Formats: sequence, C-alpha cells, structure tokens
Amino acid sequence: MAYKRQFYPGTTIPAVNRRRYLDPKQNLKKLRDIAMDDVVRIMGHRNPGEDYKSIHPPLEEGKEPKCPVRELVEPIEGAKKGDRVRYIQFTDSVYFAPISPYQRAWMYLSRFRGLDTGTLSGRQIIEMRERDLEKLSKFLIDSETFDPALTGIRGATVHGHACRLDENGLMFDAWQRYIWDGRKKEVVYVKDQVALPLDRKISVGKPAPTSELLKRTTIFSAYTGGVDMRDDKEVTAYGIRIHKLRTLAGYQPFNVKGV
Amino acid sequence: MTGAKTTKTTYAGTPLPEVKVFTERLLSAESTEKVLNALIILKHVRQINICGETLPLTVKSGPNTGIPVNHPERKVIKVGDNEIELTKLVGGFYVELNGDADVDATVEEIRKVCDKLIKTGYSLEVGRYSKYRPTLTDTLRC
Repeated sequence: MAYKRQFYPGTTIPAVNRRRYLDPKQNLKKLRDIAMDDVVRIMGHRNPGEDYKSIHPPLEEGKEPKCPVRELVEPIEGAKKGDRVRYIQFTDSVYFAPISPYQRAWMYLSRFRGLDTGTLSGRQIIEMRERDLEKLSKFLIDSETFDPALTGIRGATVHGHACRLDENGLMFDAWQRYIWDGRKKEVVYVKDQVALPLDRKISVGKPAPTSELLKRTTIFSAYTGGVDMRDDKEVTAYGIRIHKLRTLAGYQPFNVKGV
Repeated sequence: MTGAKTTKTTYAGTPLPEVKVFTERLLSAESTEKVLNALIILKHVRQINICGETLPLTVKSGPNTGIPVNHPERKVIKVGDNEIELTKLVGGFYVELNGDADVDATVEEIRKVCDKLIKTGYSLEVGRYSKYRPTLTDTLRC
C-alpha cells in the first residue's frame, strides 16, 4: 500500500507553518540577500577567498574501497572534494521566532542532504561538509526561517532563547555578537559565531514586526498573541496519541490495537 | 544597593515589605540608571536589589576563551552618590521598604516612577521575595 507523505496535523497558524516548512515541495520565501563572503565571515571557519581545507583526497581519484552503499549514494559536492566537516548553529527565541529548534531538525532532514543535525533546548546545530554548509547557511539566513532580532547565529554560549528581549526587541546575547543600529533600524553583526570581533560590521537587515512574526512562527504559545497548542484539537490529539502509544508499548506502537 | 554608602545587601532581620517590579523587556544600563535614581530618593525605600541576565567580562567557552566580551551595556552607572559597575542586563527590581512605611502610598509612588520610566511594560507585586537575615551562604562568602 502506497502512503501519501504527511507532514503535520492541525489547522492553526503554527501548525500550517510547520507543515509548510517541512514540505520540500514548498519553496521558502527569500527575504534578504546577505553576501556569501559575509556569511563565511560570520561562521568564522575560513577567510573569504581562502581555499577549502581537505581531510581526504578527492573521491574522483578512486581510492575508495568497493562498497555497494558508496555506489548507491551520490556524494554531495564537499564530500567529493574531501572538505572538512564544519558547523553553524542557530538559536531561536521563544518570543515567536519564525521557527524553533525541533522543527529545524524536521525541516533540515526533510529538505536537505548530507548533513547531521542536533537539537538542544534553544539551539540547533548543523554539521556538514564546508562548501555545502556555506551554501545552506546562506540559504537559511536569507530565508523566512531567519529573523535578525529573534534568530541568533551562535557557535557557543547560546543562552538567551528563553530570556526576555531587550528594549530594542533583540534576543539576549551575553557575548553581544550583534547589536542594534538605531539609525538604520537594523541588526548588525560585530562578532563571528564564536565571539571573535569581525573586521567590519555586517548588517542582516530589519527585524520583522510582531504582527508578521505571529503569522510566520511555528511556535505554539499561551503568551499574549500566540496560539495555545490546546486550542488546536488535531495537534492535541496527535500528541496524546503518541504519548499513549509510547506509554503502552514503548518502541512497538504497532502492537497496540484499537487506539 | 542602598541609598547609603554601600552596594552590599544589608539584612533588616525582619521581613519588611518588598515591592517586586518585573520588566517585560531587559533594560539598558541607561534606563536602569534612571529607574534606580528615581526609586532611591523615595522616602520609605530602604534598599533596592536588582536581577537580570549576567554580562560576562570575558568569553568563558569555545575557541576564543579568555578574550574580552566588551558588552556595551556592562558599564559604570551612577546611583545617588555611588558609582556602580553594572554586571547585568536588568529585568527586575526588588524594592525593600522601611518598617514604618505607608505601603500603599509608597507603592503608588513606585508605580508612578515605573509608568514614567519603563516604557516597555512591567508588572508590580507587593510581598516578600528575598531573605531578610543572613544564612549559611553569607557566612561562607565572608
């Protein structure tokens, strides 16, 4: 029996957005255009224009052992060239950031190839071959899943996702990697993701107003303006069903009949 | 911090009334300075403690451990006659009142100050939120 792929239940705004972000057939909106060199600077793994360092010879040299899986899977560009594995990490504020870490994991694995991702309470890391990671990072920073004020690019000391925002509406950052430019009304990066000061400031644009964020977010919240998850009956039923199956049958939910 | 010459918490020994002002947004050093200076001159305010998110002096983890953070909000502010290095992005004030204070009248004065100076919103409660006599921790810190 062939199943049609489903993504997420529910009818409320966060549920619809979750479905949209997860579905690889839906294009993410591009809201800004940050130069690739600037993305590379913020990531801090290499200088713009510098060659990629490699950890093994290019695959085309043909020194790989014979393996049916290797033959089956098309390697991504960075793997072909033998690039290092590098990382980028996003932190998402609970105050209606466009996306939250758990949906990031779902979205990454649903849309992209060749990455490893890890979910923590307020942050989401992507590990990937360097040249592919840079392209993916630019794509994510330019897309609607990024908000300059509520999404942080933070390699370490990510604390801030659950803190109150500051007076300018920016998520708290103890390392002050980005600041508010009051004249331009924009968010400006002054440090890379591990707090090394940048040679020059990099603007990532204007934050979205709260009214727009409430339409873009995937976060259910009882906080003012948000959608309480309990108000979406289908989402609630889905959560309860998973909880019940896990409680009754652990990792063998197929053994529970009639639920 | 107090209206006297010290920035150390002093314990009254009895549970005096305390007003908790909790801001909706974390305040800048400039706003914090204004609020503290407006509160400290109120007649029945005995002591003000602040809370918020700590701003570290140096990077404590990652490949750049040890380099200075230089956070623009970590700076010296002037409260009354005291110069104080603010180490937090402040999100709350615990205003302890004197034993002889008219609590309702003082709370109204505090509310007026907050309405004027905390533009991003706040909540205000009266109760007792912190300890009023030294405990073992204070002994260990000495």
